[in-house]
Amino acid sequence: MSDPVSETDFFSASIKAVADTELRRKLANASGRNNVHTAETKAAFPAWNDERDRARAIKRETIEHLDELLIQLKSGLEANGCSVFFAEDAAAARDYIVDVAKKNGIRRVVKGKSMTTEEIDLNPALEANGVETIETDLGEYIVQLRHERPSHILTPAIHLSKEDIGKLFEDKFGIAYTDEPTKLTAVARDRLREVFLSADMGITGVNFAIAETGTIVLVENEGNGRFSSTLPDTFIAVMGFEKIIPRLSDLSHFLEVLARAGTGQKLTTYTNFVNGPRRPGDLDGPREVHVVILDNGRSAMLADPVMREALYCLRCGACLNVCPVYRRIGGHAYGFTYPGPIGSIVSPALFGDAAGHLPFASTLCGACRDICPVKIDIPRILLHLRAKQNERDLSWPRSAKSARRGVRRFARIARHPVLARTLTALMAIAMKPFARDGYLRWMPPPFSAWTRGRDFPAFKRKGGPSRANGSRP
Amino acid sequence: MGSFLKVLATVKSALENDQPAHHDGLNGAGASPVEPPTRQAELVSTFAREVELLSAGYLGAVSAAEVGARVTALAESTGALGVAIGNGITLDLDAVAVALERDGREVMRATAAPDDDARKAWLSHLARVDLGIVEARGAIASSGTLVVVSTPDSPSSLTLVPPISLIIVRADRIVGDVAQAIEAIGPATVSGHRLVMITGPSRTADIEKLIVLGVHGPKELHVLVVWPDDV
Repeated sequence: MSDPVSETDFFSASIKAVADTELRRKLANASGRNNVHTAETKAAFPAWNDERDRARAIKRETIEHLDELLIQLKSGLEANGCSVFFAEDAAAARDYIVDVAKKNGIRRVVKGKSMTTEEIDLNPALEANGVETIETDLGEYIVQLRHERPSHILTPAIHLSKEDIGKLFEDKFGIAYTDEPTKLTAVARDRLREVFLSADMGITGVNFAIAETGTIVLVENEGNGRFSSTLPDTFIAVMGFEKIIPRLSDLSHFLEVLARAGTGQKLTTYTNFVNGPRRPGDLDGPREVHVVILDNGRSAMLADPVMREALYCLRCGACLNVCPVYRRIGGHAYGFTYPGPIGSIVSPALFGDAAGHLPFASTLCGACRDICPVKIDIPRILLHLRAKQNERDLSWPRSAKSARRGVRRFARIARHPVLARTLTALMAIAMKPFARDGYLRWMPPPFSAWTRGRDFPAFKRKGGPSRANGSRP
Repeated sequence: MGSFLKVLATVKSALENDQPAHHDGLNGAGASPVEPPTRQAELVSTFAREVELLSAGYLGAVSAAEVGARVTALAESTGALGVAIGNGITLDLDAVAVALERDGREVMRATAAPDDDARKAWLSHLARVDLGIVEARGAIASSGTLVVVSTPDSPSSLTLVPPISLIIVRADRIVGDVAQAIEAIGPATVSGHRLVMITGPSRTADIEKLIVLGVHGPKELHVLVVWPDDV
């Protein structure tokens, strides 16, 4: 669940992040590189648009038949020998997983990359019960060493430079400093290989759960998801209930768009199909497989016909990479597990009112909708959530009334040019002490309500407010 | 079982908030056409190009008789002393194992585990092996992907644990795209086995989005295509 922040915290965190030019350089660097890859791969794939439509249509069908599909998935998984647990909320999911760990005497857990287990705050619960929990996705491993949260759905350490990681490894492991990604990766590989061979439980997320065959599909590049689901004796997969797809034949439409949107690959290195525990004679595979299917606020999204579309999300991270807000403030400033545009629409449902301000943290530019592999209309949902939030804000009717009064007053003044010019000139004089480089960055109350969230262009003596670029009067 | 009925009830009532489902005319993937031989040669060349784009080693398309020599040459060039090998599906991988042994390599053959001790012994031995060899069930030309099904005599760990991986696939098992590959595998195989689609060597872009090969899985992936004798 992360460390929820209030609206005020969000303002100060994002103002701080925007001022951090080093962070912005890192974000622009990494997401820029990613956007070049994805643009190239999409351009070379004429079916991009058709496959997105197809994937979207399947998700829509899935979500609308979710009740039947959940029953089918459950019996499919059980027929393949998996234990299935439905968790209403994060606490139920945590308790179940901790219980399995206790029952099996687990000492060490290896985790594949999973935002869902971040959402339910699983690691502290395991650690509190004496279970060592090690993240094995390279980016997650890095942020875990720094006692941080991932700042991106797909690239958890996107806020760090290779120099930062070099210093981290030097400090933590006492090795000679290097900032070469190849060498840093080799260090992590060696350390984590030992961990994989000794862990007795693996936990990963789920990309797709095929109802027809009772299969868990894990999509990844590093091989840590494969290790986590192949070597330890106990394996637990944690999924939000929207990860279901009805049929095996539906899968290709998602695979064709998921990696192209997320990383610019045609397919990720590994697409793992996990089918229950090892069978007699098998040389590898877990002895026990548990699948935890999570609600945790998702049924509230389902109940809202506009929000429902948010459940189509594949968690590819593409909307973060193109978002002008995310690219300037990074993931941590959002304060919740899922940052960026998708986070701003799902967080209020998953984490409640504490995240109610996030739908306002958007320019509504629509870049997220344009890149989304299942064409989620994120701006529309943002507006819907803003309207809902405003309805709840009881001061709104009163402030609307005073806003209307203000506009009427302005209209009266604007009809008299001499009066308008005189008042403008007076205002310019009054504001002058607060202006810096043509902007008002701070004003005393009651005007501070205005300058808290934005810089206001200072009035010029003639011709109204100055333009930001200064090229027009 | 958890709160299955409760979650289900919540889902049901949430769904009732909207009109009944729209069907967008989904009929599943269209049937894949049967490929004539010339088209098959095209698929092999597309596949080869994609494999190379992934920084995997493409060892060429050879006849079944040449496989042993090609594989020993690979073991030689990569300096692999310990080799683990799965059972073939259409190919005689035991003949390959014999060729490797004759060449002085230590070869471990995968066979179904009679008990848990045998299974553990296999895994601890595999951790010290340099090269793992399996035959793929199929391959995808458009993405350079290999479809590898795990069986007791060709387990998944063979393409995961050793640092160098060789996957052999018969030319007539290469299909055009992902949909055709998934159709060829079919629901029965998918619910009966663990399987993996492998597209290039293990990789990461977690440090500044710079691509590095060989994080947890094999650092090197080599691919060999074998023409069936009757083509």
